[in-house]
Amino acid sequence: MTETVKGNDPGERGAQPEEVIRVEGLAKDFRPGFGLVRKRVLHGITFSVRRGEVFGFVGPNGAGKTTTLKVLMGLIHPQEGRATILGHDIRESAFRRHIGFLPENPYFYDYLTGREFLDFYARVSGVTKADRPARIERLLDDVGLTHAGSERLRGYSKGMLQRIGIAQAIVHDPEIVFLDEPMSGLDPIGRKEIRDLILRLNAEGKTIFMNTHILSDVEMVCHRVAILVKGRIRWVGGAADFREADGGGADVVLSRVPPDIVAAMEDAFGTGFRGQGDRIEVRVPEKRLPDLLRLSLDGGAEVVSVTPHRQSLESLFVDTVHDAEALDPTAVEESR
Amino acid sequence: MISPGRVSAIASNTFREAVRNRVLYALLFFGVLLIGVGIVVSSLSYVEGDRILQSVGLSSLRLFGAAIAIFVGVGLIHKEVDRRTIYTILSKPVSRTEFLLGKYLGLLVTIWLQVAIMAAAFVVVSLATGAPLDGGHAAAIGLAGIELAVVVAVATLFSSFTTPMLASLFTAGFYVVGHVTRDLRELGAASESAWVQQGTWLLHRALPDLESFNLTVQAIHQLEIRPDQVLLPLLYGVLTIGVLMAAASVIFERRDFR
Repeated sequence: MTETVKGNDPGERGAQPEEVIRVEGLAKDFRPGFGLVRKRVLHGITFSVRRGEVFGFVGPNGAGKTTTLKVLMGLIHPQEGRATILGHDIRESAFRRHIGFLPENPYFYDYLTGREFLDFYARVSGVTKADRPARIERLLDDVGLTHAGSERLRGYSKGMLQRIGIAQAIVHDPEIVFLDEPMSGLDPIGRKEIRDLILRLNAEGKTIFMNTHILSDVEMVCHRVAILVKGRIRWVGGAADFREADGGGADVVLSRVPPDIVAAMEDAFGTGFRGQGDRIEVRVPEKRLPDLLRLSLDGGAEVVSVTPHRQSLESLFVDTVHDAEALDPTAVEESR
Repeated sequence: MISPGRVSAIASNTFREAVRNRVLYALLFFGVLLIGVGIVVSSLSYVEGDRILQSVGLSSLRLFGAAIAIFVGVGLIHKEVDRRTIYTILSKPVSRTEFLLGKYLGLLVTIWLQVAIMAAAFVVVSLATGAPLDGGHAAAIGLAGIELAVVVAVATLFSSFTTPMLASLFTAGFYVVGHVTRDLRELGAASESAWVQQGTWLLHRALPDLESFNLTVQAIHQLEIRPDQVLLPLLYGVLTIGVLMAAASVIFERRDFR
């Protein structure tokens, strides 16, 4: 497991960053039915999240991401382990005025208008009556829903519901925002809107904890990532780590390559060499890219395209999941 | 520390949701209809027309009030869990006890509003037929309201850990048993067996006695109602509600929302 921080991680910007979420040895069993058999779904999960970062909690379906998040939100009680948020034990409720939460595919009270909905959540979050109207108007503006503030939620699209959902999560101006699959089921425009909103909240200094399995979104917004597979943390690292874990690199497409250069390339880049005739594709590690380009251009070949690897997290994710399955094919422990 | 602000926010939202329930209006409609039908039923009798009218009216109010409490009450918490709205509420600085109290009070206000509407229908029908009305009727309706507050607490308790179907069965069972324990004790007392006598006495003590809240006979016969006939059931009701809500809170506190 890697635990290094590089690149755009807020941890690099100053002194040792404060850990605002600490999870230590968290374990949870569920009873699938009415019997005594218990299934362990979380196996001693340990990780931490630092102030000011966007933390991606990634894993395949059924990995335990939502269960972990529900434990942090106090919706599920763990069997073992301990977790603190902003130094408070998660079993307390008063500190929750400093956190916000958007569940996966949330249902909201659809008989309320956008304003009534935010007013309700502002009231239960302890926002004073005097502050509420201005706060609600600003939030509606922030999430682009001022025009729909007097409309009942039953008339909202899925993207609008996600945005009003994020608005309820930040109605009390929390320090940490927890989002469970915030881009799930959204069209590309909706996803971009939510992504931009997350980046804006982070720029305002909020720490974001995000459960997701959409890896491209993780690559775009997260400073650090933890990969959870079958209830166990398998990898934790910074954004730069997963790019390097795959070796970086690029796919280079060439044409009009002279035969002697083709032979030289085959010798030098054998495993990443594909193609025949006029069109050749070479997959090359980042550090060998200049060698390949020099060889091609000096030999008179034409470089059609150079595509950096965009699937680095995906590769890491798939490898991690396969490794985890190889290590633990039973996936879930059963105990009585 | 329970915050009145948070509890009232949840209560007012619960009220807003409950008054959108169509079952509530259907039951209210039939409750008011039955109170009105009392006029026809009482007209079939040559004697005691007023008493028949008011007996039908007060019984309808209590029965349909209980039906509304059961059928609207048992689904409220389950719906929050099922639709996952509870996730966002409990992630705020709201304790589970505050959530339960808010749901309870919101539903209670809804039920009391329905009782007030049925009571208004009862008063209109009584005035229209010239039947007497006095403080006894007010006391009977007031205690019916307290009885319904107990039934709502029972519905809240059962809905805090089980499905609406089971919660409605359990709550309806509680309501029926609560009205027969006194009869059971009196039947047992007539028995020659000491075992039966003690057993039925114990059952009456252990199980709730909802007949304590029933002043229908005293009201319609215009018998004197002593202050203790109102105050003791009121105290009994408040204590019962306290115990039921404390139990609901303990159970709800331990629950996992998967």
